[in-house]
Amino acid sequence: MWKEQHPSQPVRWPQGVRLPVIVSVHHQSEEATCPFPDGESDPFDYSERQYGARRGAWRLLEILDKHAVRGTWLICGATLEKYPEVSRAVKKAGHAIAGHTYAHEMMCNLPPHTELDLIKKTVSVFEDLLGEHIQGWRTCFASHDTIDLILEHSDFAWDGSMWNDDLPYIIEGHGRQVLEIPFANYSDAALSVEITSPSFPPTRYSTWQSNTPDFMFRALKSAFDALYERGVDEAAMMPLVVHDFITGRPSRAKVLDDFIAYAKQFEGVVFTSHDQLASWCRNLYTS
Amino acid sequence: MAIEVRSRIDDVRWPRGVRLPVVLTFEHQSGEGAPLFPGDRPNYMVGGALQYGARRGIWNILELLDKYQIKATFFVCGTTAEKYPDAVQAARKSGHEIAGMSYSFDRVRTASVERERSIVRQSAQVLEGITGSRIQGWRCPDYRISPQTLDILAEEGFTWDSSLLNDDLPYFFQCGARRLLEIPFTTSTADKTFIGYPYPQRGGPDGLANVWNNEFEVLYGESRRSPRFLILSLQTWATGRPAPLRILRQFLDRLAGHEEFWFARCSDISKRWLEHGTNQAS
Repeated sequence: MWKEQHPSQPVRWPQGVRLPVIVSVHHQSEEATCPFPDGESDPFDYSERQYGARRGAWRLLEILDKHAVRGTWLICGATLEKYPEVSRAVKKAGHAIAGHTYAHEMMCNLPPHTELDLIKKTVSVFEDLLGEHIQGWRTCFASHDTIDLILEHSDFAWDGSMWNDDLPYIIEGHGRQVLEIPFANYSDAALSVEITSPSFPPTRYSTWQSNTPDFMFRALKSAFDALYERGVDEAAMMPLVVHDFITGRPSRAKVLDDFIAYAKQFEGVVFTSHDQLASWCRNLYTS
Repeated sequence: MAIEVRSRIDDVRWPRGVRLPVVLTFEHQSGEGAPLFPGDRPNYMVGGALQYGARRGIWNILELLDKYQIKATFFVCGTTAEKYPDAVQAARKSGHEIAGMSYSFDRVRTASVERERSIVRQSAQVLEGITGSRIQGWRCPDYRISPQTLDILAEEGFTWDSSLLNDDLPYFFQCGARRLLEIPFTTSTADKTFIGYPYPQRGGPDGLANVWNNEFEVLYGESRRSPRFLILSLQTWATGRPAPLRILRQFLDRLAGHEEFWFARCSDISKRWLEHGTNQAS
């Protein structure tokens, strides 16, 4: 059991920060490939997604580097095992690294003991292959047990699995606290493509439907403009979520490039990672 | 079992003066790929949206490409070639490459080796009978290869395949004693995404202009440092329509006539890669 705790005083970011943009790069490549009803993965979907580790992630790294942006890379354990050179480059570039399940399991469909095994397995993969003790976690579709498992069986400082609030809040239980850093539904997975989901096996026909890059840019811009406006009087943050196999494609990568270029013109806009945000939040909940 | 020949570096020398090869691929069917309604009743698209490609779309496209003197690759279903041989012959005559896309939009993901081999042979025979030349390349119509697709293609003497979507550059598969070049493409810039089944949706023709221009700008920029190529997957039933065709014309207006853009057929890419690409010897 757990309970939420919201800041006892208005949240204030550090001096000079008006709007933090919390960058999440999902590096999962082919891990979420849709299965056919016979259980075999869809070769088309697999190939589309595999682009993520082979090319997309590198392109995203380059764009973030060009803008000197350091964000959080949420990496599947299996992706790290298959493509360790990507994660090593991510670490070397100074990004924060967090866990994104082992093989992009839909935790909401799994029993708690399986979810716990997967959390532990993922944590140890990062330790073994990257020498990284991960501090944060994003579940792909949280179960009713996710929060309890994280509180009881991990030492994660933050969780980013929820989509339910504008600002971080504390979750308290099992004798400890974890910071919830919620994200939003304007991720590239929602804006750019309509992906078949593992819970809906693909039809025999492609369901790979895309919005235009312009549509994605305008949606990000409108979220940014609203949050930047709000940031004058009260704390606001913008979660920015991109995937290696979606935004890593050239035509969509340009959207990220253009969006960062647009947003960083505004005073007080800071692109940052969950780890950094968590450290800013440490003092908010003391009373 | 086909095994990818891994390369750690992107190294190919395009022809002198070429900075970014542009590969236009047109998938050509006449309704064979239309999903059937329950009870295997024909979908309205059999008689409509998809058939347009064979009746009109391909001719419109051929006219445009001829005007710009651009060579492209046409993936043709065997049954479409049988039903509409004139257009396929005209495409061949204009110097376009004809490649295979199954006999009748056959989905091979779970097919037996025997069945898949017979589909490949039948398709190649039909196209050879109509155009007089042997096809060298292949794309699975639903982009879903089986575990044996690449091996069969290599054994049947194909030099390249374009059914995968996982890279920015071609790469080799070792299939037994033979090599097959994979020329990956992407649906992220595909016309059918934007022109739609069966209604214009997701941005329509303007969306195509947006996504192609973005793709071009990024790849052109990257090609300064590293070899790149631009490949588009287009449908004769989609881009063959007047409005998207106009967008293609505008895109070609931007690129055609410049030496640094080489409008290559897949076989040109394959030949170039064999002679000047990575992994010539392992």
